[in-house]
Amino acid sequence: MPAPRELSIRGTPIHMLQEGRGPALLFLHGAGGAGRWLPFQERLARSFSVYVPSHPGHGGSPAAEWIEHISDLAFHYLDLLDELGVERAHLVGASFGGWIAAEVATMASHRLASLVLIDPVGIRVDGWIYPFLFGLDIPEIVATVFHNPMAALALAPPDQSVETLALQYRQGAALARVAWNPHLYDPLLRRRLGRIATPTLLCWGAHDKVAPIAPCGETWAREIPGARLRVFADSGHVPHLEEPEAVAEAVCEFVRLRGGAA
Amino acid sequence: MKFYYFHLMPYIMDHDAPSSWVTLSNRHYDPGLGHTLYNQYLDQFEHAERLGWDGLCVNEHHQNCYGTMPSPNVMAAMLVRRTSRAKIAILGNGLSLRDNPLRVAEEIAMLDVVSGGRVISGFVRGISAEYFSTAVNPTHSRDRFYEAAELIVRAWTEEGPFPFDGRYYRYPYVNPWPRPLQKPHPPVWCPSQGSTETVEWAARRRFPYLMVFTPIKRIVQIYGEYREACERFGYKASRYQLTVNVPVVVAESDAKARELAQKHVMWVFNVGLRMHPPFWRPPGYMTEASLRRLLANPPKLPSELTFEEAERDGYLIYGSPATVRDKLRIFADELQAGILCTAMNGGSHERTLELIQLFAEEVMPHFREDAHVDETAGVGR
Repeated sequence: MPAPRELSIRGTPIHMLQEGRGPALLFLHGAGGAGRWLPFQERLARSFSVYVPSHPGHGGSPAAEWIEHISDLAFHYLDLLDELGVERAHLVGASFGGWIAAEVATMASHRLASLVLIDPVGIRVDGWIYPFLFGLDIPEIVATVFHNPMAALALAPPDQSVETLALQYRQGAALARVAWNPHLYDPLLRRRLGRIATPTLLCWGAHDKVAPIAPCGETWAREIPGARLRVFADSGHVPHLEEPEAVAEAVCEFVRLRGGAA
Repeated sequence: MKFYYFHLMPYIMDHDAPSSWVTLSNRHYDPGLGHTLYNQYLDQFEHAERLGWDGLCVNEHHQNCYGTMPSPNVMAAMLVRRTSRAKIAILGNGLSLRDNPLRVAEEIAMLDVVSGGRVISGFVRGISAEYFSTAVNPTHSRDRFYEAAELIVRAWTEEGPFPFDGRYYRYPYVNPWPRPLQKPHPPVWCPSQGSTETVEWAARRRFPYLMVFTPIKRIVQIYGEYREACERFGYKASRYQLTVNVPVVVAESDAKARELAQKHVMWVFNVGLRMHPPFWRPPGYMTEASLRRLLANPPKLPSELTFEEAERDGYLIYGSPATVRDKLRIFADELQAGILCTAMNGGSHERTLELIQLFAEEVMPHFREDAHVDETAGVGR
């Protein structure tokens, strides 16, 4: 695992992991996924310069009081691209990170070489209400998020120390600031998805219980012009943790076909 | 010392669901039984006033069997017209839970005017579970509370109309009719759980501080911090700024009182406050400093509290009148608390009425050195 790098983005300090060579790929993690360098990132780093920042308030990045809306996070990542001097990046976001990535793409598709959304949340879907994650205890969360509960071990906290519990609380608060109500979506995002003008791949776990492929994945596929949808048969909400090799391959293949280097 | 009769208006039932809050299905609520209970509870309040209790306390909780008063102002409205002397203390309105807190300013003013100035207005944030029931973002809880409190006090004290442009609440015209009768406004109390930030906030404004269902050691600590804060703000806290809320069971004998306490008071902790763990700790409701303070010395969950622990740590008081008098001396003399709020539950309506009477006749008269003092003079505003 690469050593975390400390950066300041317009005065907001963050931690970021970075490794690999090739075109820039920015990965935006989901809730509980901060600061992890797992097989998925490892595989991508063989083909890309992979940047994995922790959202403010998550992992090693301190909480940022100014963030009160999901668009604040989207602007934060456009600022990060500026700070890194990256004109165009491949953007990959999972779950909550997929929500942020979609917001970025509606604002600035011209900064993206491609977009990959892995079981994103973030839009209001007719006929579906996301389960209220904040009301679930750990066993309920594992059962809801993972198809294969063994994959959850990768995200298990190291201990129950005050530091660990305080970090979890800080991460929960950072998520709640932007995702408590409306829960896990921005009412304005869905109608803006039509603005996305970068090649888009949707990766979806066949057994997602947070945002099931029907109707959620199908809605995203309809709303983003030209989006492709790939389904991962042995995954729940987090295929990049449950089938990391297959999802990483799918990302690389998509980028190759769209003319990017991979 | 002043004595306030406090009620949760519980819907007492046994169940084996994991939570008495938020998710306990309301199919368990029988409105016919509810009709009987509400009317008995209101009778208990009126009975307490007739027997000389100084105040009657209602409060706000949502979606649970612990306390069935989602709108405390509705209950206060019933009491205002059926009583003539006792203070009516609303402990309190959950300000952060309101999308239109000006409504609180209006309703309290209505109650104050109708009651002839007997209303005490508690401001609370609402407990953790309330944020699941109302969907209000818990990370906004503290700031919404401060902002709503400022708005309400200004609405009561400044001539309207004026504009208010806050972060959470915005009004082009603040101009509520009626204005409250008490001047400058009805006393504000601050029932809380002892966070450093709230202690400071209340002390600065001379708002009486009230701790509910807290072990005595922690009450002593927090009241020490409150008194210190008052001194830092340049005044000495009046004893009527310190209120304790502890369930009391008084009966003919210690043994009888023990039996009632074990059975009925423990229901409040063991069943009434049984909560699915996430409901105790919504993200951002506490500051990280408060969370760390809590984690360093984690209190036992109420649902796991044994009777022996509850007794030892002072979560409740029980005994014959003589025993209860002795135990209350700790609050009156050592803690210098000026007001005791207490709920009583004898297991049946009739028995509860007896406890209310026994306490009024055998305990209260021994603490009446301040009989002619108005406990709301000069505090809470």
